Amino acid sequence: MIDFLQINPGVWLILSGIICALIPNSFLTQLTRKCLVTGAPIFTAFMITQIFTSDIVVGGKISIAGIDLTTLRIDSLSMVWGYLFCLIGVLNGIFGLHEKCRITDSSALIYSGAAIAGVLSGDLLTLFLFWELTAISSVFLVWRGGEHAYAAGVRYLALHVLSGVILLIGAIIHANYNGGSYAFDHIGLQNLGGWLILLAIGIKCGFPFLHMWMQDAYPKASVTGTVILSAFTTKMAIYTLARGYVGTEILIYIGAVMTCFPVFFALVENDLRRVLSFSLNNQLGFMVCGIGIGTELAINGVVGQVFVHVIFKSLLFMSIGAVIYRVGTSKASELGGLFRSMPITALFCLIGAGSIAAFPLLAAFVTKAMIISSVIYEAHHNSALYVIAAMLLFASAGVMEHSGIKVPYFTFFSHDSGRRVKEAPWNMLVAMGLAASLCIFLAFPWGGYQMLYDLLPYEADYKPYTVDHVVFQLQLLFAAITAFCILKKSGLYPAEKRSEILDFDWFYRKCGLYIVKSINHTWNALDTRLSNATRNTYNTINKSLYGIFSPIGGFSKTAPSGLAAVMTAAMLILVLILVYFVR
Amino acid sequence: MSSIRKPGQPGKAMSKHEGIHPFAIPFLWLGNKKVIDRFIWIPFFGLILTILIGLLYPQKHPAPWDVLPGSWALIGFVSYSLIVLCAKPLTFLLARPENYYGEGGLLDPEFSVENVEDEND
Repeated sequence: MIDFLQINPGVWLILSGIICALIPNSFLTQLTRKCLVTGAPIFTAFMITQIFTSDIVVGGKISIAGIDLTTLRIDSLSMVWGYLFCLIGVLNGIFGLHEKCRITDSSALIYSGAAIAGVLSGDLLTLFLFWELTAISSVFLVWRGGEHAYAAGVRYLALHVLSGVILLIGAIIHANYNGGSYAFDHIGLQNLGGWLILLAIGIKCGFPFLHMWMQDAYPKASVTGTVILSAFTTKMAIYTLARGYVGTEILIYIGAVMTCFPVFFALVENDLRRVLSFSLNNQLGFMVCGIGIGTELAINGVVGQVFVHVIFKSLLFMSIGAVIYRVGTSKASELGGLFRSMPITALFCLIGAGSIAAFPLLAAFVTKAMIISSVIYEAHHNSALYVIAAMLLFASAGVMEHSGIKVPYFTFFSHDSGRRVKEAPWNMLVAMGLAASLCIFLAFPWGGYQMLYDLLPYEADYKPYTVDHVVFQLQLLFAAITAFCILKKSGLYPAEKRSEILDFDWFYRKCGLYIVKSINHTWNALDTRLSNATRNTYNTINKSLYGIFSPIGGFSKTAPSGLAAVMTAAMLILVLILVYFVR
Repeated sequence: MSSIRKPGQPGKAMSKHEGIHPFAIPFLWLGNKKVIDRFIWIPFFGLILTILIGLLYPQKHPAPWDVLPGSWALIGFVSYSLIVLCAKPLTFLLARPENYYGEGGLLDPEFSVENVEDEND
């Protein structure tokens, strides 16, 4: 008898995805598919509640080729990700109800299922399996963006599969150092395996110089695809960091750099989905930094930030997705004034923007402060961390710029682009409405944020609504908005222009391609010359031999019989000498 | 798909609120130039107010920069301005034509304002 409570709940979503992929297209099956897309995450969440009955539940133990695997582990950390992924799965399902696409539905289910199964896995090999499945299943969402997304999808797939391979190699080396155990607990950087696993996570998580896939693939995916993609991959990577690398110092610096550099790229970027991808990168930086700090407050901040970030980032991607659906573009240079036609979407976008900028009473206000506070508290013991705290504050002003102001302003306000469109479809509005409500509810001072804090892995006695926190946060935000108004009025704020902004991927998309082409060209030229040289040498030898031995050659000419006898004798002596020495 | 008219040039048959969502009608003043020009006073007064309250309620766990009154306002203003002022050199360094990579990176060329005249569907 199968014990269903021993099965990793993510598997149910994966199975639903497979069913979705197999059932043929018709109105009735389409309805069934949409029921699965929204219902399967709810069932998965129900299964998690059934399994998670004590502080830590370990199950699904199997042994393959002498390796013990723990395919299921739910504790206070993985439980948050499990529920969060189910919640966002439902919202994504509602957002995509209008889309009659079997590939999107089945990919979304398998992808979200793999992400849930990955975070609920108890060993590195099971993690690797679902790590790769997220890559393979999600690339279809990128390709659904159309022909222009094909190359980006290939690059996305290549990098993510590479990340999985590095993870596997790292896991094997790490297990060798740990007596053959593949248990997925604290990993650290004590051995090469730990470094390789960190590199694998770094690719998925968007570490500096490994981040380009995000800004390359996400803006090119389909409207629904981008919303789905933004929720799972990077947050799964953050989970693996929070599980395996808590308190690893290098992450503080990596995270701080991650918060700052995307701010500049987002500023000059015209495609608003790409701006949001840079913004996603910047927010991941806060989380990575918090994991590096590693105190209970920091980890609570990270987990809380992950939870609200998935919701408000999806909300922002949904609102821009709704604009693309109606207007056909997400280029800031061609939008503006859309609040006249899409006021409800504009309102939801403003709530998302306020949430990401950490306005009081909106989501990130109650979580991001925990990360920044934890850095400042630690800086009291290690003054070098004040630089990191200053970088995080700088990045907070940057968040206000690209996500708090730029995205809603250039889409819905700014100059009137003259576009008159319909409001977003009802299902998109419902999904955005639910996400916006959660952004408000999870930061609500009376009973709201406390519910969020109850989910955190450590007891949270942090009080976000103190006068000093509210006032100083508002100082930062009001100052940023004032600066925006002044710069805009004085004409110093840059106008949005259609362009391709170069990023680090230039090194492999242009420079790398040029090097490969050059090597190929050089090789071809060398090959041609080598062939010519070989042919010429062969011809020369051939001619020489022909000149000597052919009927018209030197040896065929008449010669005196005495000369022939001398030559024969010379040859005989030569042979005799050779035989003597060889023997 | 959207219909596009040049800003400030409504078509002959276009009534005052044609194409405007009913929920947006009470908020059309948001697009008024005077309102936009005067909007700056809201964050500015908010800024002054929060700086004053900040003097009365200082940070419980101050960082070294918190000895300055209005330190976070200063950080916010300077950081934001610095970021925006980097735009020009960054654009010069990094911006290339949209088809730079030549792999069909244009998601929506047909929706460009330059290419589309008044259209309805």
